[in-house]
Amino acid sequence: MDLVKIEGKWNFNYTYFAGESASRFFHELRENHRIMGTRCTKCRRLLVPARAYCDVCMAPTDEWEEVGPEGTLETFTIIATAFPGLPPPPIVMAYVTLDGADTALINLVHGMDLSDIEVAAQKLNKLPRVKVEFVDEPTGRITDFSFKLI
Amino acid sequence: MSVAIIGVGQTGYRRSFPDKSSRELIWEAARLALEDADLDIDAIDMVISGVAPDALAGEASVERTAMLGFGKPFLRINTGGVTGSSTVFAGNTFIRAKRARAVLVVGLERMGQATSSQQVFNTIFDPVYEKDFPLTTITMAALRASMLMRLYGYTAMHWAKIAARSYQNALKNPLAHLHVDITPEDVLNSPLLAWPIHRYEACPMSEGACAMVLVNDQMVGDRTPAWIQGAASITDSYAMGDRIHRPGATLVDLLSLKLAAQRAYAQAGVDKPRDQVRAIELYSAFSSAEAMAYPALGMCEASDGPRFVEDQFTDPKIPVFNPSGGPQGANPVSVTAMVRIAEAALQVRDMAGERQVADVDRAVATGQGGATQFSTVCVLGKRPAP
Repeated sequence: MDLVKIEGKWNFNYTYFAGESASRFFHELRENHRIMGTRCTKCRRLLVPARAYCDVCMAPTDEWEEVGPEGTLETFTIIATAFPGLPPPPIVMAYVTLDGADTALINLVHGMDLSDIEVAAQKLNKLPRVKVEFVDEPTGRITDFSFKLI
Repeated sequence: MSVAIIGVGQTGYRRSFPDKSSRELIWEAARLALEDADLDIDAIDMVISGVAPDALAGEASVERTAMLGFGKPFLRINTGGVTGSSTVFAGNTFIRAKRARAVLVVGLERMGQATSSQQVFNTIFDPVYEKDFPLTTITMAALRASMLMRLYGYTAMHWAKIAARSYQNALKNPLAHLHVDITPEDVLNSPLLAWPIHRYEACPMSEGACAMVLVNDQMVGDRTPAWIQGAASITDSYAMGDRIHRPGATLVDLLSLKLAAQRAYAQAGVDKPRDQVRAIELYSAFSSAEAMAYPALGMCEASDGPRFVEDQFTDPKIPVFNPSGGPQGANPVSVTAMVRIAEAALQVRDMAGERQVADVDRAVATGQGGATQFSTVCVLGKRPAP
């Protein structure tokens, strides 16, 4: 007897609502090429990317301040294998603390020589300084910028 | 009011079970747990089911197709990676609150039906600020593994040794998904997934079901119990970037697991965990997750972690980690945290077969979910908590 297998596919469409804080963050990216954080009214941390409230204090974060455009790499990975549905490797992804911020922000690191991944990893292990680099035509998304080693 | 685990049922874990529908997997685990408990379904006051993202199975609310008995209260739990332990803890809480005498907890992972699971895992990230990046369970672990290497001196060989030990342990566990004789060198020679993580360090994708019967102290009778001495669950901030500069507990210090361990140990009367716990089933989907757990569970200082990896191979007094093979042996995501408790219960009940550790008076099981956002610690013992 053959065991029956039935093909299935989930392919739903969604529109994600970013909300007011992220919308303003994205507006600043697109119009002013600035990265903004919001400061917690209680613990005074400058949270980046901007958000409406601090989840530790449960307090609003409504003071807007610019950070960067330079910062320090905190930790990273170099994706070396292709996974179905995800962009092709190699890809460098890192958390960076932009100057002035109290939290780190994830984004891709572009412009590195990845012909030898181990060599690239050792370079990133030194926690280099990086700068924000915007795309030519920002559209108001987190992908409007990436990091580049200084 | 003390609560005991008196029945454990596991289907075993594989890449897929094409011979069983989702509801049949749930039924089999539940049936085995009831048999082990020597109880009929009529003796069960409540059923609690744990299933994590529906998209991994491609079936929404799959647990409702597998009702177990008629006319009982029913709940579904989903807390990501800790779904399995949260489900057990919910049962424990209902019994301690005297709302039930006996609870059947059951978890199912059906990801064998998913043909692009890493794509599904990408949907657990924030669609506003994160989802555009290739964040997955693997890259999330890699971001922390590279930090551990830099901060505490772990090397690729440490990761490889931890993984190989788990694979060797899984050889003794007939329920494990992978039975492969892998050495540390094999791990290092396997393809690089995301620096510094190699393929054989990553856990497999497994499916299967696990169930347990929890009862109050009056119902234990002459059965062999594993008493729940301590159970604690702690959450942390969602954003990993928010935890990098936290004073005293950075991204790799697993504050949530540390606090959960402190609470569960206090309930269980444990003050010297390294001496008072014999077996530890860790939810460590990657070697780096195991390394982060050592200091959080009070095994060593964070900076002594690399040496602790070496010491556990030579010092027989150190607790045995993942005698079942842990998530390297099988990682059925929704149920992995329940399997940790089930395996710890089998150790305490001296029912773990070839993987039994000698003289287990007390065992610990952990759970990790999200980007180490959720942590659970469960302490089980041969006797109720003092």
